[in-house]
Amino acid sequence: MTVDPSAKYHRRVKQALADDRLHTALERATSRLRDKRAAAVEAIDLEQVRDQGRAIREHAIRRLPELLEQLERNLIANGCRVHWAESAVAARDIITAIARQHGVRRAVKSKSMTTEEIHLNHALEQAGVKVVESDLGEYIIQLAGESPSHITAPVLHKRAEDISELFQRELGMQPTADPAEMCATARGQLRSEFLAAELGISGCNFAIAETGTICIVTNEGNGRMVTSMPPVYVAVMGIDKVVPRVEDALLLWQVVARSATGQEVTVYFSATSGPRGTGHVDGPKEMHVVLLDNGRTRILERGYADALLCVRCGACLNSCPVYREVGGHAYGETAYSGPIGAVITPLLADNPFSAKELPFASSLCGVCREVCPVKIDLPRLLLDLRHDMIQLGTSTRYERAAMRAYTRTMESPRTYGRASRVARWLMRLLPQDRDGNVLKLPPPFSNWTRTRAFPRLAQRSFRELWRSRGPQDTASGDA
Amino acid sequence: MTAQPGAARDRILRRLRSSLKEKRQLFRESVINDLPATPMTVYPPSDRLSLVESFGAKLTELSGSFEAVQRETGIAERIASKVAEWIPNGGPAITEVLSWAPGELHVPRLEQTLAELNISLFVPDDLHDRQVIDHAASLAVGMTGVEAAFANTGSVVLTPAPGRSRIASLLPLHHLILVPLSKIYPTFEDWLAKLRKEGHLETFVRESGQIAFITGPSKSADIELNLTLGVHGPKVVHAIVFDDKE
Repeated sequence: MTVDPSAKYHRRVKQALADDRLHTALERATSRLRDKRAAAVEAIDLEQVRDQGRAIREHAIRRLPELLEQLERNLIANGCRVHWAESAVAARDIITAIARQHGVRRAVKSKSMTTEEIHLNHALEQAGVKVVESDLGEYIIQLAGESPSHITAPVLHKRAEDISELFQRELGMQPTADPAEMCATARGQLRSEFLAAELGISGCNFAIAETGTICIVTNEGNGRMVTSMPPVYVAVMGIDKVVPRVEDALLLWQVVARSATGQEVTVYFSATSGPRGTGHVDGPKEMHVVLLDNGRTRILERGYADALLCVRCGACLNSCPVYREVGGHAYGETAYSGPIGAVITPLLADNPFSAKELPFASSLCGVCREVCPVKIDLPRLLLDLRHDMIQLGTSTRYERAAMRAYTRTMESPRTYGRASRVARWLMRLLPQDRDGNVLKLPPPFSNWTRTRAFPRLAQRSFRELWRSRGPQDTASGDA
Repeated sequence: MTAQPGAARDRILRRLRSSLKEKRQLFRESVINDLPATPMTVYPPSDRLSLVESFGAKLTELSGSFEAVQRETGIAERIASKVAEWIPNGGPAITEVLSWAPGELHVPRLEQTLAELNISLFVPDDLHDRQVIDHAASLAVGMTGVEAAFANTGSVVLTPAPGRSRIASLLPLHHLILVPLSKIYPTFEDWLAKLRKEGHLETFVRESGQIAFITGPSKSADIELNLTLGVHGPKVVHAIVFDDKE
């Protein structure tokens, strides 16, 4: 990995833009995911399905407290233990306590962005628990000591060649370029982990309130393994994941599958309501559910309920021209990248300044809004966040002075015209390329020309041209 | 552990309630104000294609396979010949299959007939013993029935119960699914609607412990979006649909 998620924003972006391997991997992956999604949504009445998905999610957020209480009641009735965690620390403490109580030494996990969000693996390892990621992509990342760069395709930033090298080094695999062989190697390794693990940990795609059910969506079957093989199972869910009815979860499942990978449904959908039943052959003896807030109530309080509608399909990442260029790690040390990540990362952070650049890292082109299966107006949210950041005082004194000067200039046609004449004159003095584009602007505008040229200004402004044409031209319409 | 576990819960719920109450406009733009009373569907009401044909076609499209048999032609013989196809190159014959209890498979005299064909069923009744797990994990073929199957997606639904292990559809490299014709529905939605109408959808979901929808073989596209099969679950999925009507 050449992009260091812990580096400063400008440095991360620079690293990402300079990484040709990353561009190859990103281009191969996101274009294929986009094509598959496009084919899958063409086959159905997309607008109707988006409205349905949106209706379910809106309903759930509006009735969040009631649904969470109903979910809790039913989970307990089903024989689960329910824990509430306000913060990442609280959630980590709850889960490590469960592990300690059972003397757990090995845990297997299925892919979960929520557990990435609370940095669970590190906490468990400090408590003496070996944690193995079982999703193939997450497993690759864990072996490489990296972090996921995409919500649904965590290893999207790696080429097949990179993965083969990694398996040869870490697992002693014979050299091969065949993904099937790499996959078989991982299957063998992970199978023994599943059979030995004393604790299974998963996230949650949807939780059904009326039945007390945790739903996990996977293609590999690791979600079913994690919820079936180890004697103790812990599900970690953001409090925004609840839906009212069984039918709602099944509808959203299909929505997520089509949006994420272009599948009609994923291979596995595991809906777990409780521990192993009386007389059952297998399944966990104990099931815990951790309901995690960690900034979600604050999202609601700050007026960003829209962001809680997200179903984590990753379609906005695959379509975003910024994500496709820089990848997930450029968004920093966060589980969530791309347009939705740029919205929820600063909102979830305890310190809103820690990711203050992210809402600005977007051209607001709007394609994310077009593909979102629950119709989140992401560009609007990004703009509102920018506004909030300014209100919070993230702008410098210099920036504020510049905005005041800008306002004055734009207030009347006369000041605007005068300013553009001055600018045109000044630009002649600056280094230019053959077409007259300016190669180097003086500070404070030099940031612009660091990575691109500034287009030359027209020799005459529109207003000047208009004036010079005279009245007869406008009447005849002759050009 | 937190000192007062109940306190976190109450604080979260209180904060949610107070901000939901004070927000006049919760979303930037509301699409629909509330849920329609009738459950929604991705598909329009099903065209009544042959259920078996579309189930089989869909499963095949997803790298699985299927065959439809009349009950009289001998399901056990079909199973035996399929299992024989799965013997690894030069390997010994497969004589033991990890299975649900014969009573859960709805095929009369299945165990006896398979025994005559030199195939025995391994039906664990619990997995407390490490030896049992290791033995189960060493078997190449798992055989199960279904709770329901769906023609439009090629999916099956499996639920655990006494005599119905989860591992039979999870650990072996090959999964053999016996699908009675009467259990095939056009779509998920048809099945859900039926259970809902009969009034036991909620109880069914809760009491099953885990409902697994399975659609074709286990797969991953994590290695540069190359499709690879059999990552954790079965690599080969074969369904035998049989007519269980009188």
